[in-house]
Amino acid sequence: MIELKGVSKTYARSAVKAVDGLSLSIGDGEIFGFLGPNGAGKTTTIKMITGVLRPDSGNVSVDGIDVAADPIEAKRRIGYVTDNPELFARLKAAEYLNFVGDVYGVDTRTRQARVSEYASLFGIKDALGGSIGSFSHGMKQKLLVTASLLPDPQNWVLDEPMVGLDPKASFDLKEIMRARAAAGRTVFFSTHVMEVAERLCDRLAIVNKGRIVFMGTLAELKRGQGADGSLESLFLELVDGEAANEASPKAVV
Amino acid sequence: MSVYWSLASLYVRSFYNLPGKKTAGNNPAGKSILKVAGFGALMVFSVAYFGYLFVGLNLNLYEGLALAGMQDILFLNAAVMATAMTLVVGFMTALSTYYLNDMELQLLAMPIRPRAMFGAKFTAVYVSEAAFSLFFMIATMVVFGIKEGPGPVFYLWGAIAGLLLPLPPLAASYLVQIPLLSSARFLRNKKTIMLVGGFLGIAFALAVNVYFQRMMPPVADPAARASAVAGPGSAVSLFGGAYPPAFLAWRAMSEPTAPGASFAMLRLIAWCALGPALVIFFLSGAYARSLVGFNEAHLRKLSATGADAFIVRRIRAGAPYLTMVKREFGMMNREPMYLLNGPFIVVLLPLIAGVMAVAREDSILSDPDLAGVRALIDGGLGAALAGLVGAFLGSGTSIACTALSRDAKALPFIKSLPVRPAAYMLAKLGHALVFGVAGSAIGVGLLALVLRLDPASALSGLAAALALSSLLNLAGLWLDTANPRLSWDNPIAAMKQNPNSVIAMLGSMGLLVGSGYLAFRFEMGTGAVAFWFGAAPFAAFCALLSAYPRYAERRLAAMEA
Ligand SMILES: Nc1ncnc2c1ncn2[C@@H]1O[C@H](COP(=O)(O)OP(=O)(O)OP(=O)(O)O)[C@@H](O)[C@H]1O
Ligand SMILES: [Mg+2]
Repeated sequence: MIELKGVSKTYARSAVKAVDGLSLSIGDGEIFGFLGPNGAGKTTTIKMITGVLRPDSGNVSVDGIDVAADPIEAKRRIGYVTDNPELFARLKAAEYLNFVGDVYGVDTRTRQARVSEYASLFGIKDALGGSIGSFSHGMKQKLLVTASLLPDPQNWVLDEPMVGLDPKASFDLKEIMRARAAAGRTVFFSTHVMEVAERLCDRLAIVNKGRIVFMGTLAELKRGQGADGSLESLFLELVDGEAANEASPKAVV
Repeated sequence: MSVYWSLASLYVRSFYNLPGKKTAGNNPAGKSILKVAGFGALMVFSVAYFGYLFVGLNLNLYEGLALAGMQDILFLNAAVMATAMTLVVGFMTALSTYYLNDMELQLLAMPIRPRAMFGAKFTAVYVSEAAFSLFFMIATMVVFGIKEGPGPVFYLWGAIAGLLLPLPPLAASYLVQIPLLSSARFLRNKKTIMLVGGFLGIAFALAVNVYFQRMMPPVADPAARASAVAGPGSAVSLFGGAYPPAFLAWRAMSEPTAPGASFAMLRLIAWCALGPALVIFFLSGAYARSLVGFNEAHLRKLSATGADAFIVRRIRAGAPYLTMVKREFGMMNREPMYLLNGPFIVVLLPLIAGVMAVAREDSILSDPDLAGVRALIDGGLGAALAGLVGAFLGSGTSIACTALSRDAKALPFIKSLPVRPAAYMLAKLGHALVFGVAGSAIGVGLLALVLRLDPASALSGLAAALALSSLLNLAGLWLDTANPRLSWDNPIAAMKQNPNSVIAMLGSMGLLVGSGYLAFRFEMGTGAVAFWFGAAPFAAFCALLSAYPRYAERRLAAMEA
């Protein structure tokens, strides 16, 4: 369960709010899609959920634990897949997995079983002895996913997880998401691909310029409007409508 | 042409890690002024230091040569030295920047002529070589200018020669490297060429050290020394006579207003332009082709059964703190840039010191039994020296004072993990302290051997080295926590060009030299050394250590990484 209440964040080196009074609540057993154009504030929001960034105001809690008050306990309940898999090029895959496993306190036996399971599912088992720097982008992504699942976290937070994955891996990843949700776990992921969200999410939110412009189920979204009925045009309308509202006062002057 | 210029400025910016165009309202003004002022002070300090060395060197040479009326050989010597230095340094720079990063593969995919690309890179490498050579010529001109008062044309020729002389050596470096890297695939590996370049650099640093050690101290017969090094029969002069650019520079500078001087300069320009023109014209294509393959890495694949066995063998639980320390080792030692400038120092400095000691036969240390010296050493000075040398070695690795900067890229992920930021930073301290202990042991051990210390002095020295190096390492870590360099795209920026490592180095030198002076001035005994340089810094270390975790937590939480 992930809860955000009125969360805002302005980067020190910038004047605009990257995230502006955002509130969300994602329950157990739910797959939640976080959509928005580039620079909308998705990564910033995710970094605040995972305790990487401190919100300027507002409050984030994970499974009822306040991230600001008890960061370690909150982080223990999150598995996080970053949007940048180019992090540990100098480490070997096995070293990276052990690093994450040790930090989350996963015992040897569980760890071996999970590595074996996910690495064979994603087809990177034969590369476990290799240096991460020699992996392809998709292989790195798969390794990050594998590592994030080692502690079997209650909450799984993924930032643009489909980027760079081949169709098979992308399918497998969605299957894992569904299986986890079915088992009562929370899945939160960001994307800018409407189709991914369409097939996967129980609920979704669309953000633009740090603010939520839509939140609800897919059915609710479809009921809204959409010129040709496609989700893509819905998405564009929501995001563009916002932009048009901002632009209009200027146009008057 | 405009493609060339924008590429050249791109290369210069990323080589020397200059910031791009600043956006308005970027930094709080006060802080950036402080930064600029601090950095400026560092620059002035290092330029002044090397200027002092070079001017001193030239002064010694001048005085020796003037005794025989051969002072104008000074220019031949300077031209040859500038050529030799830029050959070695240029070769290293060219090699270590041969393949900068994957950005270059993108450039290859753009409609850019190989000549523009290689020409731009040549220019960027040339900039530092020109500065180097100019520096050397200026040092010579300052000495000669003060002593002989030549006219303004002299300085003009000198400056032009300084700018021109690095061109042929740099062209020669590429003339060797491009065919070599084009044909030998196994060399096309960033790691390999960084290591080769690094070792060349170390060998060069040793040679320069030996040279200065021989040239600087006063000797009974300076004329003999000067003529042995630079006189007409010396290797330098023989080479200079046979190498037209050096010879022409000498001609122009020794009779700057004679009609032949301008002609010599013209010939010098032609000579120096020839090499780069030929290399850029003929080898640019080969250069661009040889870049392909640099980012290839060998991926070892396991067999199906091998993979299962591998998982059982290698995927194993460990203690979180040790895992983090292990990660620090791996991340540092596998980046050649970090390894050579960091942990490797523990081996390198004793090596340099050894060579220096051999070169400088008249040192006090070479005969510890000399009357009076023995008493001083046994009276506590030996312990103090051993302790200070050990502390210097134990804190000279820059591991702590660049710890957070080096990890900038991984910081967001690290912060998402359920570990206390303090524990993560203390793992960095642990990493630094391992080398602190190694450096202390090596430093104290060597001095104990050289000075033939008694066990009490050696132990007291070891206590001092351990306490002081731990304190310095923690102070360095604190510095990097307070002001880390978080945005960079080249590891050199995180380590070598990190102001923190320069500040830490100067700070520790200041502290250690000051301590040495105090030990000497107050004639500290072995016990006093153990107390003042061992127990006292250890207490300071403990005090800092108890305050550090809270500070680190606060700083890391506030960081927007
Ligand atoms: N480190 C940073 N410093 C300053 N501003 C930042 C930083 N990171 C992001 N921003 C700004 O914050 C805003 C939101 O960025 P964010 O990365 O959260 O967007 P995003 O929705 O994840 O976009 P994308 O789809 O491109 O990943 C942008 O305007 C961006 O410029
Ligand atoms: Mg993003």
